[in-house]
Amino acid sequence: MSAVVEVAPTPLPDPEPEAPEGRRRAPREPFRRARALWTGVRAAERRGVPDEVSVVTSSLTVLAVVCAWLLLQLLLLSGLAQDRGQTILHDQLRSDLAAATAPIGGIVRPGTPVAQLAIPAIDLEQVVVEGTSAGQLADAPGHRRDTVMPGQQGTAVVYGRAVTHGGPFGSVTSLRKGDVIEATTGQGVARYTVTGVRRAGDPLPQPLAAGKGRLTLVTAEGDGRLAALSAGSAVYVDADLATEAQPVPAGRLNAVTDAELPMGTDTSAMAALALALGGLLAVAVGLTWLTRRVGAPLAWVLGIAPLLATAWVAGDMAVHLLPNLL
Amino acid sequence: MRRAVLVLTAVLTVGALVSPGGATADTSDAFSATKSMERVFEEDGDRVVVDERTVTVKVDHTKNLRGRERVQVSWSGAHPSGGRATNPFGEKGLDQEYPVVVLQCRGRDDSSLPAARRLARETCWTSTPRQRSVQASERTALWRQDAFASAADREPKSGLSPFPSERCDDVERLSSRVTPFKAASGTVHLSCSATTMAPEAAADAAFPPAEVAAFTDVDGNGRVSFEVRTATENESLGCSSTTPCSLVVIPIMGISCADDASNECLKTGQFAPGSSNYSGEGVDAAVSPVYWWAESNWRNRISVPLTFATEPDVCDVKDSRAPTAFYGSELLSQASTQWAPAYCLKRDRFKFQHNRMADGAAFALMERGDAAAAFVSGGQEAASDTRVGYAPTAVTGFAVSYVIDRPDNAGELGELRLTPRLLAKLITQSYTGSTIGQQHPGMAKNPMSINQDPEFKALNPGLDSIAREAGAALLSLSEASDVVESITTYIASDPEAAAFVKGQADPWGMVVNPSYRAIKLPVDEWPLLDKFVPTSTQECRRQISTPYMTQLAAPISSLRKIAEAVLDGWPNVQTKCTRSSVSDPWKMGRVDRQGIGSRFMLGVVGLGDAARLDLRTASLQTKVTRGSGTAFTDASGRSFVEPTSSAVLAAVRTARRSEQPFGAFALGPATTGANAKAYPGAMIVYTAARLEGMAKADARKVAQFIRVSTTEGQRAGAANGQLPRGFVPITRNGATAALWKQADAVADAVESQTPSAADEDGEDETTPEKESPGGGAPAPPGAAPGADVPAAGPAVAPPNAPAATTTLETAPTAATTSSTGRLLMAGLLGVLLLAGFGAPAVRVVALVRGGRR
Repeated sequence: MSAVVEVAPTPLPDPEPEAPEGRRRAPREPFRRARALWTGVRAAERRGVPDEVSVVTSSLTVLAVVCAWLLLQLLLLSGLAQDRGQTILHDQLRSDLAAATAPIGGIVRPGTPVAQLAIPAIDLEQVVVEGTSAGQLADAPGHRRDTVMPGQQGTAVVYGRAVTHGGPFGSVTSLRKGDVIEATTGQGVARYTVTGVRRAGDPLPQPLAAGKGRLTLVTAEGDGRLAALSAGSAVYVDADLATEAQPVPAGRLNAVTDAELPMGTDTSAMAALALALGGLLAVAVGLTWLTRRVGAPLAWVLGIAPLLATAWVAGDMAVHLLPNLL
Repeated sequence: MRRAVLVLTAVLTVGALVSPGGATADTSDAFSATKSMERVFEEDGDRVVVDERTVTVKVDHTKNLRGRERVQVSWSGAHPSGGRATNPFGEKGLDQEYPVVVLQCRGRDDSSLPAARRLARETCWTSTPRQRSVQASERTALWRQDAFASAADREPKSGLSPFPSERCDDVERLSSRVTPFKAASGTVHLSCSATTMAPEAAADAAFPPAEVAAFTDVDGNGRVSFEVRTATENESLGCSSTTPCSLVVIPIMGISCADDASNECLKTGQFAPGSSNYSGEGVDAAVSPVYWWAESNWRNRISVPLTFATEPDVCDVKDSRAPTAFYGSELLSQASTQWAPAYCLKRDRFKFQHNRMADGAAFALMERGDAAAAFVSGGQEAASDTRVGYAPTAVTGFAVSYVIDRPDNAGELGELRLTPRLLAKLITQSYTGSTIGQQHPGMAKNPMSINQDPEFKALNPGLDSIAREAGAALLSLSEASDVVESITTYIASDPEAAAFVKGQADPWGMVVNPSYRAIKLPVDEWPLLDKFVPTSTQECRRQISTPYMTQLAAPISSLRKIAEAVLDGWPNVQTKCTRSSVSDPWKMGRVDRQGIGSRFMLGVVGLGDAARLDLRTASLQTKVTRGSGTAFTDASGRSFVEPTSSAVLAAVRTARRSEQPFGAFALGPATTGANAKAYPGAMIVYTAARLEGMAKADARKVAQFIRVSTTEGQRAGAANGQLPRGFVPITRNGATAALWKQADAVADAVESQTPSAADEDGEDETTPEKESPGGGAPAPPGAAPGADVPAAGPAVAPPNAPAATTTLETAPTAATTSSTGRLLMAGLLGVLLLAGFGAPAVRVVALVRGGRR
């Protein structure tokens, strides 16, 4: 990235020759110092800043660009990606439902769409995939693999991101008691009514009676002035099944990995991240070489696309290492 | 002075020997009878007495016997035996001359009884057909030449009419005799071949033969431990509390010959009195035990009536109440077996049941309230603040029992002396067992088994030096037990043994097994630490690589099993390679029973089991007055003591009361150390029960048990509710007065269940509120997952699911937070702002500075 910031000093016009009769301008004394300073600056600019200062400014600029890119990707670009992911998942779920092959139990491959979740009160329409690790939650809310499917007897748990990747669950905490959640699965449409939002320290809901169902949405939220950007604590929305609970096919998992627990991080993406960063470095080195060789404009035209692509991939990989509910 | 006399008197009155060989505590059930008998030869119608003896038979106890209990049968005045067999039991004992045959028979020898309840040859148990049926040529058919035989017995075929020639493979021209066995059920087993024997007489049956042709020394005296069998062990014989049985002792005098007898009948033995018959050579049948059923021998029998104790399951059969289980020490096992019927057969008492369990585990059960009381034999570490009282219930201990045959057919070894160091050598698996074990690193110079150890030889002279795998092991407990703790304390408190364990070689150069060097003693569970796997050319050993020393030690789970292993002379050494066929894989299993005559085995047992099964118990070293730490060649300077009642009492007298109220007494080498007469293996078994928080009904039962067991339960005897041999009675006065007093006080405290001052703030101890570790109560089934405990699978409501209207107080949702999540975005934004504004700012500052120059 260091190639981006080599800013060549613009050649400035020669300074005006100082008036020979400076004494006459004695009343404009206050501006003299400023003018002198300006002149000095112009001269210094011609000479160029010292190398050590140049290193500091270049580093800071690089840092700013990286942060800006990450923020841009987390808050905006990942949302676009999630939107596209939803479209694909929706198509897949639609055809699965039509073909009656949508999974309703047993071991389901992580990432497979399993349900369509609709919450009219907050205008939410999301396809839910199986699995709750950071990678699976990138494209859609995830259904925890050791719980029953939505609509079935028992408690189903669905995780969703609050801020990044479009923040699909960003507003579920605003749900009120009585709001309706609809889940469409291979077993039909299940309607849940919200019983409340639950934060750390609130009592757990009452034990489920036999044959009843419950849905718990899990996301994150922050507090304080930067609440929207500091979603660090898990929050739960419980909803009781209002329609008839479906039977549970056997063979669910009875445990999940740490990466799939709330605020879990998936360190298995570390290797892929290293690879992506390596690619990014290679592109940057190539771009620098190209700048020297063919000049900046042509180099940038050629290099911008690979640069953005590798930066995007690296950013995506880095998201795996962040808490899955963020 | 007067007090000392009192104590002495008390000791003498209860001072019956616990160990075998002593007088029994209860003399009323001993038996003694004298009978004169003669051998006559008929000559021209006159009877010439060729031999005349007056035999006195004594049996040490005959009442309330239990399965496999051994009784001491001794006699005097019998004809000296010759041609001594190595193994006198069953068929193997037949090739002897003038032995004393001891048999167990159903029925009583009383002509006034109906035939069904009278004992006869047909109700006497033998384990092989050769002891019951004979085919012989007319010249050698001695029973037909018997002067006392009836006319029917003189027939060529006798014993059963009509004679079962078909089924017995009878040869027409030979004389034949069968003595069928009449089972308790009425079935008649012909007993003329292996296939017509009673089912319990199968080859390699579960129990070795008990009937014995015992040896009489040149003075006419002899003694044997006879193992009685109840209906549980031998259903065909069927002896029980309701079916009386007898012991039949037949001193073999030789067949009294009729006028027409052959020379065979007139023979008087070819072996000199006291000689041995190693190779099982033929003996003179006329004086051998093979014709024990011939009238000449049978008429000389002395019958000893036996009675049997109520069956172990009497409480299950006769009392339908739910039992109250006490858990704990197996040392009490023999006593509780006798005590249980005294509770369940009385309506005003509860149904007592003793479940054997490791002391520590039992104590924990009792503390948690899962058991009414625990039997422990020492102070236990409390897991909670609940106050617990220890009521002394029985005084007994552990013993090292042994069965060792002296070389040259000289019979069993009668006294064995062991030092703590010898026990340490055994328990640390420092003997190599065989040449295979000698490969063990660091032990190449150690003896292969204890009988090769110079220390053992110095104390127990006259034994052979043949290396044996069984002689390298002390069969011990695999479980945690206070017995193991007691043994290891004994080892740890002896300077010589402790030094040996720490790694110092003994004066003869033997060193401890490196796997156990400096092991921290005492322990309550002996660890199997040796991982040495030998290399061997044996195919079996090459296929199965398993630690060798552990195979030798092979501890087992109960003291009773150890006692039976010693009784049978059957070590638990697991080095026997077998396979069903050449194509099957090898497996390692328990070695065979040791042949009588070359037995060598040691095991840790409880004194109760040792007394019941009449096992020999070793004397343990108590004091070293000189020569400590040096090589010695005899036992001088060292005191040893057998586990007799007086030795156990001497140890108990040194017990120190605990500083805790109702705590366990301190008893062990630390207290008995100075007393050379105190048995170091003495242990007190306590009934430990909670003094607070117990249900009233349970508290009453425990208090009742303590009171009954320390009064009625301390009367020595074999009957229900009495104290069996192997235990020393706890009495109101005398050496055990302190124990009795504490038991009495604990009984009161248990019954009243007074909470201690600290608990009187209204806190109810019995509420089953348990705090799970970590603070958070586990979510009830079906509850929504709080943070990390989701309800897997369908929600299963508890059986008593609350109605919709009732609400349960549920646990609070756990906090799940992530500082990354909280700080990441804000951090990124901050850094972006800092760096974004920082870079131009730095540049401007640098330019301005540059411009001023």
